[in-house]
Amino acid sequence: MRSFSMVLLGLAALRAQTEDFGKAYSFAERKPGTKVEQTIDTLLPSIVKIHGASGLKTISAYATGILVSNKGHVLTVDQILLQPDRTRVVLYDGSVHQAKLLPADDRLGVRLIQIDPDAVRCELRPLWPAPDTTFRTGQFVVSLGNCFRLAEFSEKVSATFGVVVGRANTALRYRMTDVKYDGDIILTDACNNPGHYGGGLFSLDGRWLGLNMRLLDSKETNTMLSAAIPVADLLPYLDEVVNGKPRPVAAAAAEPAWLGAVLFDKAGRQSPPAYVERVVPGSPAAQLGLRNDDLIVRLGEFSTRTCREFAEILGKFAPGQTVTVTWKRGTQVMTGDVTFGKAPTEAGK
Amino acid sequence: MNASTMARAAGAALFVAAALAAQTPPSDEFLQLEPVLQQALRKAGPFVVTVETYGGTRQAQGSEGAADGEGPPKPRQMPKWEPKPRQEDPDDADKKKNEKKKPLVASGFAQAQGKTSGVVLTADGWVLVSRFALALEPTTVLITVPGRGTFHAVRGGEDTSRGIALVKIDAQDLPVPDFVHPDQVHVGQWAFALGRTFAADEPTVHLGIVSAKKRLFGRALQIDAYTSPANYGGAVVDVQGRVLGIAVPLSPSGRNAGVEWYDSGIGFAVTIADIQPLLARMQQGEVLQRGWLGVQLATAWLGPGAKIDGTPKDGVAAKAGLRKGDVIQQVDGVEVMNGPHFQMLLSSRLGGDPITLTVRQKDGDVLTVGPLTLADAPWSEQKQSKDAELPASFPLPKEPEGR
Repeated sequence: MRSFSMVLLGLAALRAQTEDFGKAYSFAERKPGTKVEQTIDTLLPSIVKIHGASGLKTISAYATGILVSNKGHVLTVDQILLQPDRTRVVLYDGSVHQAKLLPADDRLGVRLIQIDPDAVRCELRPLWPAPDTTFRTGQFVVSLGNCFRLAEFSEKVSATFGVVVGRANTALRYRMTDVKYDGDIILTDACNNPGHYGGGLFSLDGRWLGLNMRLLDSKETNTMLSAAIPVADLLPYLDEVVNGKPRPVAAAAAEPAWLGAVLFDKAGRQSPPAYVERVVPGSPAAQLGLRNDDLIVRLGEFSTRTCREFAEILGKFAPGQTVTVTWKRGTQVMTGDVTFGKAPTEAGK
Repeated sequence: MNASTMARAAGAALFVAAALAAQTPPSDEFLQLEPVLQQALRKAGPFVVTVETYGGTRQAQGSEGAADGEGPPKPRQMPKWEPKPRQEDPDDADKKKNEKKKPLVASGFAQAQGKTSGVVLTADGWVLVSRFALALEPTTVLITVPGRGTFHAVRGGEDTSRGIALVKIDAQDLPVPDFVHPDQVHVGQWAFALGRTFAADEPTVHLGIVSAKKRLFGRALQIDAYTSPANYGGAVVDVQGRVLGIAVPLSPSGRNAGVEWYDSGIGFAVTIADIQPLLARMQQGEVLQRGWLGVQLATAWLGPGAKIDGTPKDGVAAKAGLRKGDVIQQVDGVEVMNGPHFQMLLSSRLGGDPITLTVRQKDGDVLTVGPLTLADAPWSEQKQSKDAELPASFPLPKEPEGR
């Protein structure tokens, strides 16, 4: 008898579930919960599912986006699945909308797409970066996204929980493959699985902190990392495309910086450490007091572990820029400020 | 009572239960924990340092890699390209789940020469690092102490069985952590894994709990916070910012593995507060290794005692006269239940440690052997020896070799 009633109890629960299943999302079904639960519940209608073109095994045909305007703008990570005529957005009520591609931002690696707001029957709930976009290491975060396309129709996207692991720079300190974005990123242990990217990273009180990036492949540690682009960096692009505010144009690339230290760079598969072989007289390196056999270990805050890295990092600076150089002489670690010069021309040599 | 009324009753019961659950005031435990974590970070941040290495030999670390310190590195073999079978539905989530989970770090893991982390041990400049940081035998090791600058580090001793090493920098009045004794650690308590790799101005943090104690034969805590090359050598701290242990890549087999486990929810933190005498020896430059007795156990023998199936010629046991067929009854007065028990008793020891055995010989005579001095394990923790797999049997190298 007891087991029989247990079965019935199970059936009743199942029935309740099936009745709920497939229902369009409505705000009326919201139940009170903890602050964190309420935060997630409030954010969910702003997170949309994106379906697009695919055809390759390694590229998924789904992603996540964040609704940022009442005019139907959706922000997501720029990726191959976003093809004209083949990009569709699924809103929280389950409705599917054809999306138009807007110009992408190549530095950020993000793109806005737009759906027709007049075709939307539900209330649009756009998100916009709050004035306070700061985040800190150890801060608790909730990450929202449609990982592995688990959510269909009006189903809610997945919420994962974690902390801000730290801050990293994609430019140099932190070599990664396939990263367009060039700047500071938020590392998190709330996992970015395929499909999760384009979703958002939020503080527990619901502040929008970042846009989930693709899984990063770190050359520095040979591991995969979950990260997000801070919203502060997204704001100028959003303002330009959504609100028509022009952005300041970035200065054109200047000549490469010149230090005047010739390194002991032998050819080979492995680039050797950046030992100074010769210092060009009168060069910035000479003024700094570099000598041969010094090991240059850092330019600014970027470690120069090999001659190849040294050249790469030097290329990021421009003549006239002043940075702190760190080098090792014997067992002494020395530092000094140097202002980069321009490389002498061939005729001048 | 028919089925439909029962279902209704059950439904009503469910409803009441749900209503009751809704009435209890919801607690925001995350919101309460966050400031605690922040405070622990502020406390622990100053003694977590950055380790950078320059020079050395890049080579593969995984099972396909060349063993450490065995001549010049062999060129790494690139896997042959093979066309992959076409997957019918790339979007099928179930299929993805059913696929064998591939580790994010491939076998033959090539160690990148990125930054790793370290922890200040003493105010006068001893710093604990992971042996992982030194695996490439770098020519230069630099330690950056937050707010104090970068220092040239001189290598001290190591404990290969724990995967830690000491380096010395020329600095005074460094911030020193409190190390928590493993006896005061509880399974289930919060454990935050800190590193200082990606940015110099603030540490990185991963959240987790203590999963188990006395792992790796009493050497480490098991935690579920992510440990990776980015925070190896970093501190695993409790909510008060005290150090529970140092994150290291290790596995029970004794191989310097664990890298491929980094996102598996399995990480190890070597405890420090309980190894003060060993730290003193490492400060003298000693390289500590697992102890080796040189016996192979009969796996079919279920006890009491551990039955010897063989003794390699150069082993400590052979030299002490132990032979195949002898049964080890006691280790330092502790009654041995069976083979695995004997391994537990032995595996926590280091080379040079004394050991006294009570042995019942084949002819029935019971002898006390020892105290013997354990040799250094002929396999290094780095050597990726398949023979080092525990606890199936004791390693029995074909060619016994000294270090």
